[in-house]
Amino acid sequence: MSERQGGAQAPATHNVIRSPRDFWGGLALVLVAAFALYASSDLPGMRGFAFGPGTAPRLFAYGLMALGFGVMMVGLLSDGPPMEDFTFSGTFGGAVLVLALIPIYFFAARIGKLAPGIAADIVVAAVGTIVVVVLAFLLTHVAPRGPLFITAATIIFAIAVRPLGLIIASYVSLVISANATREVRWVETLAWCAILTAFCAVLFPYGLNLPLQLWPRF
Amino acid sequence: MDLVQNLAFGFSVAVTPMNLLLCLIGVLVGTLIGVLPGIGPLATIAMLLPITFGLHPVGALIMLAGIYYGAQYGGSTTSILINIPGESSSVVTTLDGHQMAKQGRAGPALAIAAIGSFIAGCFSTVLVAALGVPLTGLALKFGPAEYFSLMVLGLVFAVVLAKGSILKAIAMVMLGLLLSCVGSDIETGQSRMSFDIPELADGIGFVVVAMGVFGYAEIMRNLEQEESREIVEAKITGLMPTLADFKASLGAIARGTGLGSVLGILPGGGAVIAAFAAYTFEKKISKEPHRFGRGAIEGVAAPESANNAAAQTSFIPLLTLGIPPNAVMALMVGAMTIHGIVPGPQVMTKQPELFWGLIASMWIGNLMLVVINLPLVGVWVSLLRVPYRLLFPAILIFCAIGVYSINNAPADAIMVAVFGFIGYWLVKTDFEPAPMLLGFVLGPLMEENLRRAMLIARGDPTTFVTRPISGVLLAIAAVLVLVALLPMIRGKRDEVFVESET
Repeated sequence: MSERQGGAQAPATHNVIRSPRDFWGGLALVLVAAFALYASSDLPGMRGFAFGPGTAPRLFAYGLMALGFGVMMVGLLSDGPPMEDFTFSGTFGGAVLVLALIPIYFFAARIGKLAPGIAADIVVAAVGTIVVVVLAFLLTHVAPRGPLFITAATIIFAIAVRPLGLIIASYVSLVISANATREVRWVETLAWCAILTAFCAVLFPYGLNLPLQLWPRF
Repeated sequence: MDLVQNLAFGFSVAVTPMNLLLCLIGVLVGTLIGVLPGIGPLATIAMLLPITFGLHPVGALIMLAGIYYGAQYGGSTTSILINIPGESSSVVTTLDGHQMAKQGRAGPALAIAAIGSFIAGCFSTVLVAALGVPLTGLALKFGPAEYFSLMVLGLVFAVVLAKGSILKAIAMVMLGLLLSCVGSDIETGQSRMSFDIPELADGIGFVVVAMGVFGYAEIMRNLEQEESREIVEAKITGLMPTLADFKASLGAIARGTGLGSVLGILPGGGAVIAAFAAYTFEKKISKEPHRFGRGAIEGVAAPESANNAAAQTSFIPLLTLGIPPNAVMALMVGAMTIHGIVPGPQVMTKQPELFWGLIASMWIGNLMLVVINLPLVGVWVSLLRVPYRLLFPAILIFCAIGVYSINNAPADAIMVAVFGFIGYWLVKTDFEPAPMLLGFVLGPLMEENLRRAMLIARGDPTTFVTRPISGVLLAIAAVLVLVALLPMIRGKRDEVFVESET
């Protein structure tokens, strides 16, 4: 019952990586630290004895890198439990859905012209929603439903709430999120999501006085 | 008597109808999430932070505080009745509480849990009030070097008391510190690590990180576990404990309260560790330790008093020093900053109504909990019948709308999802996210004080050791790390807190 990606490697590397959770967890931290060092490379460092903007980020990044290597070493030198199911696929599944937004935003101007007569931002939101939902369902073959549909539902809310308003964005997002578990009962889900949407549409704009737009702008 | 005067002032703030109502909402929500397994006070407070925007800061904090200690009450109810700890701080209560329920003594168990919590709540309220003034005086003497060292000590406590590997906990603190650097530099205003993305220019939102790493990651993981909630209706007959019960539990309540109060004040502590420690201590000093685990009423009284006492005393370092001792208090810092309040010693002098009103509301909230909790036991238990497949979409949409409404920024909602699967990865690879949140909250403060201290000392890093208070604080931190590392080097780390989660 090992991880899909990890499963392929597990037999070969079994003897080297004795505690896989430590090893892969540490490696991830090292990569984050390396990325932070790259990201802060343009910042000026110490000026005399005063800290520059780049001093603290680099200090923390080098610290994190050293600690990450330390955790990796623990993974090589001591025995630990095997990877939990879906560690890689769950995390990457969510990441793929977020990354899918990059091309959509890159080509937003062109996508907006696809359906003449409808406001461009609504078209972009609709296309984005469809892409994310289709991608999420395709990914269910390799990744667990939980991270996929929780991520998908949030993305859909985020891209739909401005052009389509709170009510439509919430309802669509809720229905999509219900797919995060296998035991979907459609009638119950559709009714329950409607109740929740109505509740949110009353609570946030009226109960809490938040300036939220309820319906699409036409 | 200054203390009495101050408390009287606090009560005058806390008993306004609006604040009473918010306190009631807070403790009710707290009890509710305490009852429901799979949603804890951390996720709930993170979720409700944006909602408190429209409120007055005093009312907002009264409500959020009510959620935290209310959850300690609610957790005990399900632990006793159905052997499911609704909250990790009530895990030990299941040991003896559920045994009592099986023996038909669910009523006394619930009652003693509530009474113990109430006594603990009263005591720790007075303690918070009494320690507030002297600690604030001390904090005002602190310079940047002392503050920096104090924060190092706080983070070290959090690391030492975290479950699992110390190395991993330190790495998490460091990750939190690094994430807190994103955004504009405090002194020069230069944008750091934000790649000219406008949404990152102000830094990563605190609510975004907390909601993602705790709320979202929790949902993602809960969905992987098969649902198996069995509702065993235990008949509750005769709520009142007997005189013998009272005699047996009085000492336990007193000891639990004392231990809980101390562990709550210490950085890194909190309700969970307090409950474990109180139960272990009670078992050790008992003349008949074999009774524990078989329905000993002390085994309910001690941890329940301790977790409530700790939940309240953990406000002391936050309100006086401005340093959150655990992740829930880190969220409170977030709540205060949202309302433009800088936590620290100046809160007591500049916002006395906030300080004393919050303290007084804790006592009122505890009274409310005793009154509403016992009659409503049936209602809470029936709530457990709500299946998770209906619960999680509600949590999700609340988070999404809440975080979006803070800045009207859709990108913030996407960031929550990103931190959701980051949290998922961390938990799956056995990293504790709580130290990361503490590091994230303390990061800007630490950097600011470090920079100032270095400037004052003209770039001489020995200033942290040569200044007496700072040196002592760092020495304590160093000793703590050594003590924690020694057993690990010998290859058998003490796993007392192995099941604890803050």
